[in-house]
Amino acid sequence: MKKEEILKNLLDAVVEMDAQKGKDAATLLIKENYDPLEGIENGLSEGMKVIGEKFNKFEIYLPELMMAAKVFDSAMTILKPHISSDSKITQKGTVLIGTVKGDIHKIGKDLVAMLLEIAGFDVHNIGEDVSTSTFIEEAGRVDADIIALSSLLTTSMASQKDLIGILKEIGQREKYLVMIGGAPTSQKWADDIGADIYGENAERAVSLALEFMSKKQKS
Amino acid sequence: MVNLIEIMDRALEGPFTYENDFDLNIFVPKLREVIKKYEIKYDPENPLSCDDDLADRVFKAGIELFADSGVYCIDTERIIKFTEEEILEGLAEAPCCPVFGEGNDAKALVARKPESDIAPWCFLGSGGAAVSDETLFESILEAYALFLPLANSITAPTIKHIEGRLVRTKSPLEILACIRSSILARSALRKGGRAGLPIMNSIASAGTDTAKIAGSQFGLRPTDGWLIGTMAEMKINFERLNEITYVMNLGGHIVAETAPILGGYCGGPEGVAVANVAYHLISILLMKGSCQLTFPIHFYYGCTSVRDVLWASSVSAQAISRNSHFPSFINIYVAAGPMTEMCLYEIAATVINAVVSGASIEFGSVAKAVEVDHFTPMEPKWASEIAHGVIGMTRTQGNEIVKKLLAKYEDDIPNAPIGKTYEQCWDMKTKQPIREYKQLYQKIKAELAELGVPFKF
Repeated sequence: MKKEEILKNLLDAVVEMDAQKGKDAATLLIKENYDPLEGIENGLSEGMKVIGEKFNKFEIYLPELMMAAKVFDSAMTILKPHISSDSKITQKGTVLIGTVKGDIHKIGKDLVAMLLEIAGFDVHNIGEDVSTSTFIEEAGRVDADIIALSSLLTTSMASQKDLIGILKEIGQREKYLVMIGGAPTSQKWADDIGADIYGENAERAVSLALEFMSKKQKS
Repeated sequence: MVNLIEIMDRALEGPFTYENDFDLNIFVPKLREVIKKYEIKYDPENPLSCDDDLADRVFKAGIELFADSGVYCIDTERIIKFTEEEILEGLAEAPCCPVFGEGNDAKALVARKPESDIAPWCFLGSGGAAVSDETLFESILEAYALFLPLANSITAPTIKHIEGRLVRTKSPLEILACIRSSILARSALRKGGRAGLPIMNSIASAGTDTAKIAGSQFGLRPTDGWLIGTMAEMKINFERLNEITYVMNLGGHIVAETAPILGGYCGGPEGVAVANVAYHLISILLMKGSCQLTFPIHFYYGCTSVRDVLWASSVSAQAISRNSHFPSFINIYVAAGPMTEMCLYEIAATVINAVVSGASIEFGSVAKAVEVDHFTPMEPKWASEIAHGVIGMTRTQGNEIVKKLLAKYEDDIPNAPIGKTYEQCWDMKTKQPIREYKQLYQKIKAELAELGVPFKF
């Protein structure tokens, strides 16, 4: 089979949320000795872009996003071991994301995480009710570019402010871009606490993350 | 009905499942299956549904979803399940007319039907939106008592700062905020001449069970309402079960709050409508509620005034009110803020949709409850006058008005104006709205009358 055809199958597998089709196309790509990196970047990732666009137009919702991501992951499992050590998957940056201490809400945060992944970020979702120190330790461990903090309660927003304060205290504020979001947060709150990015909604969070990373890479 | 100890047994011994599996392999496929089986289809042309058969199919689908999926207990990672017989028994035995409030403000909350002649319960205020401090909290509560004659109960805001300190969950500051909420709300309602008025979202400042229970010791009455929420979608944890246990043993009222997310695991409006019915059943069987307060919200726009959420709310309110005697509220969140035309249009559309479909209303939040101090007594007053104006209105008439209102604001939802703050809209000395707001109010009221709302107040 021609390379273009296999790449299209990878793309379609993600869009159609068909795990078997994705695995078959990934296996064939390797068997035919095509570049697995191309399979990821021009097949699977292109499929995720289509999914992202459909999501932004409210044509599909969270379950479809998650199913498409599963197809992506299962095909990736087949392709990844065949990527040569001198090749590198292009990433837009690394994001550490979680819901702050005292808050167990997850859906909005998971949505942002998924859309960031679709946009090409390496995303580390560390869950809910995450302590400030865990955010900082994990950001160091994964070498994050962005720390993204979600809060859905008026009474848990203070943890977003805490993290920024502690980063300053330990001399690490400049190391990371800090993004905040969640129902009770606002641009004013982001400005008050000195956050870099206010993700008013999932789509805006992603576009601003891309914009800030692009500025960071240029500077 | 299944009692609390049995519910705990099920939480501890029900089927073990990873949370992600519950979401993606149990809840989502079952929801899709019943949507298909019962042929539930979103109709964007008619945001206020006029279809009885659809409503009844949605109700059946909700029962099946609840019976098959159950409720996920986050602390034990097990599913609390109920049989269809238990569900039907729960529906038959559910409370039908709980009495909230004291003295002249005591009143039975009764379930309504679509196009009902029964006045909707007006649960009015600021729906837990953030108020900057205790002084403004007390002031707005007093203003509600003075300015909202149609209020049957009050929904208070969340105090953001205590003595200048930002309130933090799981800290003494949260407990203090809850204690002061109870004390100040009670005294403000007394000052406003409505001492018996029930506070039905107790306690907005509480994020934890500890704070809610502690705060309630300082002036709440069993005839108030303890607002206890599930987690999206169809999940509960021990903290919420602790609160339920406390209120049940106190002999108080639980206002079971449920909030399906349009765009989340429910998917689109069809899923939200069905999930809302399942939540109604959860409110009765698991949460031991005196009523359900549902709050279907759009994942992207963060409000309830968009077309697809209106449809889901309308269909589920009709499904519930046609098939259950357990009282149900729709909570109203609009995108625009105080003293804007858009805000008044959105409120009118969401209130007409809810009341004509058979629900009572909680009003609610403006400016998506994001901006601090962005609420005044004018918006709940407007909601209550609309709600009473459309008592007995047919769904066909209501649908036509809602469509005309949507045409006025729908395109502006993504960039809704945040409006003004309480202090900018309200004369704190005379305790009246400023002239500009009164004029805007009268202008939009005349427009709504022209559109066919027969105002009684």
